[in-house]
Amino acid sequence: MNIRRMVLLALFVAVASVLHVVEAWLPLPFPVPGIKLGLANVVSLLAIGFYGWRAAIMVAVLRVMIGSLFGGTLFGPAFAMSMGGALFSTMGMGYMYQYHRPAFSVVGVSIIGAVIHNAAQIVIAALLVVSAGLLWYLPYLILFAVLSGAGTGFTAAYILAKMPRHFMDQSVDMERS
Amino acid sequence: MKILTKADIWLIMFLLLFAFAGIGLGLSRLATSGSGTLSAQISLGGKIVQTVPLREGYRQEIQVKNGDHYNTIEINNGKVHIREADCPDQICVRSGWISVATQQIVCLPNRVVIKIMATDSDLDGIAR
Repeated sequence: MNIRRMVLLALFVAVASVLHVVEAWLPLPFPVPGIKLGLANVVSLLAIGFYGWRAAIMVAVLRVMIGSLFGGTLFGPAFAMSMGGALFSTMGMGYMYQYHRPAFSVVGVSIIGAVIHNAAQIVIAALLVVSAGLLWYLPYLILFAVLSGAGTGFTAAYILAKMPRHFMDQSVDMERS
Repeated sequence: MKILTKADIWLIMFLLLFAFAGIGLGLSRLATSGSGTLSAQISLGGKIVQTVPLREGYRQEIQVKNGDHYNTIEINNGKVHIREADCPDQICVRSGWISVATQQIVCLPNRVVIKIMATDSDLDGIAR
């Protein structure tokens, strides 16, 4: 059992949960359904960077559960949207990070994650209210996701570059041995 | 710290192009929408609850209930808005008034959708 990895992943879940809750408090100037800053995507990216996509998906799922519990939206429509968005975007980012990273930077990976997040959310929302008309919001969401994804991407890239590598890597080595 | 790669820039350009094309398409759809008799179609979880005519001087207030939750919809002089709702995000209230066909107001938490439909006769629809 690798305690360091477990503790650090628990810390990731805690930080991501707080971001998930706080994000819902921040008023956005555009009243578009499904629009989100995606601050918790920073943590997903860090989890991918340090521990791989499997760990990141675990962090994302736990984050949505805990964040929704605190936000009072557990198992509501917002929960389904958050969960779908978080799962698809983390999988997409994990894939891009692992196989297309020299070509795409962390910022590019983050933008892809943000776009997948918003696209998945609005598709789930359209299914929930049974109205395909919601997809007309998609271009606005993508436009917003490019900006928010770049913001979270630069944040994650900065942390990934500055965080003392050995602090995280040690645990990866221990796991292998 | 790494800066953007070539692939990143292509990705951003492609996404922006797609977004602006989509926004343009939506706006052109709005501009060429039917100008016949307009009505507001209120649906809850995909089921149409009520269809209300939109015309000058007509005023109505409708409360849509979904379990414990509610949205108070106000129709006034050919415009619709959600005056009050108990949803946490209040996006529906902040959407403001709509009055042109194809415009919509969505309240995701309460699953309420208000759409403006142009109820032209079929002939008009074809001519257009």
